[in-house]
Amino acid sequence: MATYSNQHWLLSHIRNSFISTDDTGMCETVMLSDDMPKHYLRKFGNSGAGGDHYHRRRGHKPPPAGGGTTPERNTRHPDAPLQEVDFICYPGLDLSDDEEDMSTHSFDIQMYPEVGAHRFRSNTAQKLEKLDIAKRKAARIKSINYQEEVQPPDSEDFFRRKELPLKKDEPVEKPSKTNEDELSDEGIQSQLTEQLAKSPKQTQNRFIEFARFDGTSQVGMQTKRINVYLNMLPEPDRNYPLKICVLATAKIQEVIGYVCYKTSLQYPDVPLKSLQHYALYMTEDNDDMEDFPPLDNREPCSKFGFSHLTLAERRPLAPVTRVDYHGQLGTKSMTSEEDKAALAEAAVKALQNINLNGGKSNPGKGEDSPSDYVKEYEKRLLNHNDMLEAPMHRTFRLNIIDKRFFKSDVTLGISGERIEIDQYKNAKFWPQKKPVSTPIDLVAHCEIVERRHLKALLRIWLKSNSSSPSFTTGCASAPINASVTTLNMGSASAGNAHSPNSPGHSSGFFSSSNIRYKHYDFDTDTHTADQIQSKLTCILEMRSSELRREFLLQRERKMEKRQLKL
Amino acid sequence: MGDQQQLILATGGYDHTIKVWQAHTGNCIKTMRFVETSQVNALDRTPDKTRLAACGYQCIRLYDLESNCTAPVINFDGVQKNVTRLGFQEDGNWMFTAGEDHHVRIWDMISSPPHCSRVFDCEAPVNSACLHPNQVEIAMGSQNGSVFLWDVKSERHERIVPEVDASIQDVAISPDGRYLVAANNKGNCYIWSLTSQDQKMSTLRPTKKFHAHKRYILRCKFSPDSRLLLTTSGDGTVGIWKTDDFTKWRELCIENYWVWDAAFSADSKWLFTASSDGIARLWKLQTKSSIRDYTGHTKAITALSFKDEIVGK
Repeated sequence: MATYSNQHWLLSHIRNSFISTDDTGMCETVMLSDDMPKHYLRKFGNSGAGGDHYHRRRGHKPPPAGGGTTPERNTRHPDAPLQEVDFICYPGLDLSDDEEDMSTHSFDIQMYPEVGAHRFRSNTAQKLEKLDIAKRKAARIKSINYQEEVQPPDSEDFFRRKELPLKKDEPVEKPSKTNEDELSDEGIQSQLTEQLAKSPKQTQNRFIEFARFDGTSQVGMQTKRINVYLNMLPEPDRNYPLKICVLATAKIQEVIGYVCYKTSLQYPDVPLKSLQHYALYMTEDNDDMEDFPPLDNREPCSKFGFSHLTLAERRPLAPVTRVDYHGQLGTKSMTSEEDKAALAEAAVKALQNINLNGGKSNPGKGEDSPSDYVKEYEKRLLNHNDMLEAPMHRTFRLNIIDKRFFKSDVTLGISGERIEIDQYKNAKFWPQKKPVSTPIDLVAHCEIVERRHLKALLRIWLKSNSSSPSFTTGCASAPINASVTTLNMGSASAGNAHSPNSPGHSSGFFSSSNIRYKHYDFDTDTHTADQIQSKLTCILEMRSSELRREFLLQRERKMEKRQLKL
Repeated sequence: MGDQQQLILATGGYDHTIKVWQAHTGNCIKTMRFVETSQVNALDRTPDKTRLAACGYQCIRLYDLESNCTAPVINFDGVQKNVTRLGFQEDGNWMFTAGEDHHVRIWDMISSPPHCSRVFDCEAPVNSACLHPNQVEIAMGSQNGSVFLWDVKSERHERIVPEVDASIQDVAISPDGRYLVAANNKGNCYIWSLTSQDQKMSTLRPTKKFHAHKRYILRCKFSPDSRLLLTTSGDGTVGIWKTDDFTKWRELCIENYWVWDAAFSADSKWLFTASSDGIARLWKLQTKSSIRDYTGHTKAITALSFKDEIVGK
């Protein structure tokens, strides 16, 4: 069949299959960077402008002789010189970038959670088994008909009146020795009193708040069963997993709490540290911990399909993660190898910066105390996933605030190399404005300037193009309104945040640099604002751009000046 | 049923589960699935403590507490409407159930299979029922405001309507057999003195009426020593009254939540409460302080059962 002998199709198929059946959630970080089919297509497929047409036509034909019998061989030896003819684009797979992104990165495909390990069994087989189990269970349950006829008891003695010990009719004779508020103690003691007395100092389990994530016997709620190996247990015990059942909605953080709760019940002698010290790691069922980073604390556990995990102390980044990204880190819309290299370098630099024993601290803050440093380290460690995901392209729907106080609906796309603002298609009143694309190099800062109950005002600072001749694309004619202003707002901007076009001082306010900045203001809900802010900040921090440092420095100086004036 | 048997608390509620707790630590031992369409209206344990009975909307189920199995061992079919109360005779020979189908039924539990041996028709949905310590009389309260005392042996009964246009929410008889109390949805409590002679049915003498809560009373119960009466209410409080004069002795408060059920320890020094915040609590009555939380239910807890023993003087 033509399909199965087409390398492009095969590669895409393998890739998609892996992504859609990946339980680890790791494919996103591992595979995203190198889309092999696309890569090969770019390398061998797109020769000349007419290439697409050419290949599309060719795709229907049977492959060249020999290709049909050993199609995979070529892909196994990517270094072997490939001929153009060997890699034939499969029709429909060489669509434009955007559409292809939709078709190959199908992250939304989710397995039914209950299928789990039985992925290959059909639904019918499972249903039958469930019915069977229910039947067998029912056989053990005695059934009584509620509406049945009344059968009076045979024996006269069935209802027997019990004589109550006659209490003396003068209950007041009890000496009221104690004051009104105290009831006299007749000296009796109950089993409960005794047991409570035996464990007087037993404080409540400090993980008890996580007990509510118990999924055992929950009706009408998705639950998840996981076997968790406990790394902190002594040798024999740690080889046997703790079987837990949690609500599928529980976040990983809460699962950790629940595991700690169960552990403290089952192994009361094992001292446990606080939650922040632990993380869940992927594990083979023979309890070998994988060298992957831990599961993201904020994700719901339903996202992951593991049957086995290990609870262990959070460890510093495993070296393997660092090596992995060496020269490989990328975004989906990477175009030039140069960009790739630069970003990879930045990522490696950023990761190395977290090295506790690195010695060198940031040039900006020389007098960091060690504890600050540790805190910083922990913070970054927790942000690790943020950093991995940050360069991935993502779009947000929000409102841009126009010069004239009007809001219009736009999509904001953020990736590791640029931000794009595009007016939403069916905005009614204004004429369509051209989409704006800004290279990430020109983005200086992102902040939330105003936070109300549900809404937040998000501001993205860019280098104004008037002083950057290199920035000419897209934005040149009638861009979506951005106010050009020198940085003169300081932190007091929150109050009048809705008027971004504050008087545009022309340049030269600061002696140190003449860079002018403009900003876009967006109005959105706080959650999205937080997401955008953390994503963009992550990207900017990873790139550790000169521009950003300059911007923050200027702002700081400005603040100082203001304070002096006051 | 050795002496070392665990002391357990059972709770059930709107999350369709029944949880069994180790009473003195607050740890959940076991969770059992109830019926998916029903909350738990009442729980009671068989006197030998091996089984737990639960009733709800269109269901009555008995669970085995000793096995690891969380499925019921006995299930009632064809139940109509809510079953509001159930309870056992002290030897476990029979069980009573009260329901909104107007009927209170006695179930012979020693014959196999169990069958119904008596029915009483209250002519209105029955909200509550409780067994007299003499083990042959059952007090019942109905939605149209009637209080019944029914002698299951002689099948005689007596009926009283203490207040018109009020629904009786719960009835209780003190363990010493002296008092019957009925609590209604207006927050009022009615007390009768019970006297009985020569194996005959008890007679009722109105003794006291008092306004216990501003809102709905959900449960009332006497302490094992009969010296205290508790009332739980939709106003978020538990009132504890001295039976000497029915004056308030203590008030426990769980703000903004309904307190659905409560149970005393055998020495009347501790109290368990079940409330709509999904947490069961253990209170030390002397200090009015809550000393244990039983967390795990995801919705309101509407019923609990606790069976304690006296271990000695």
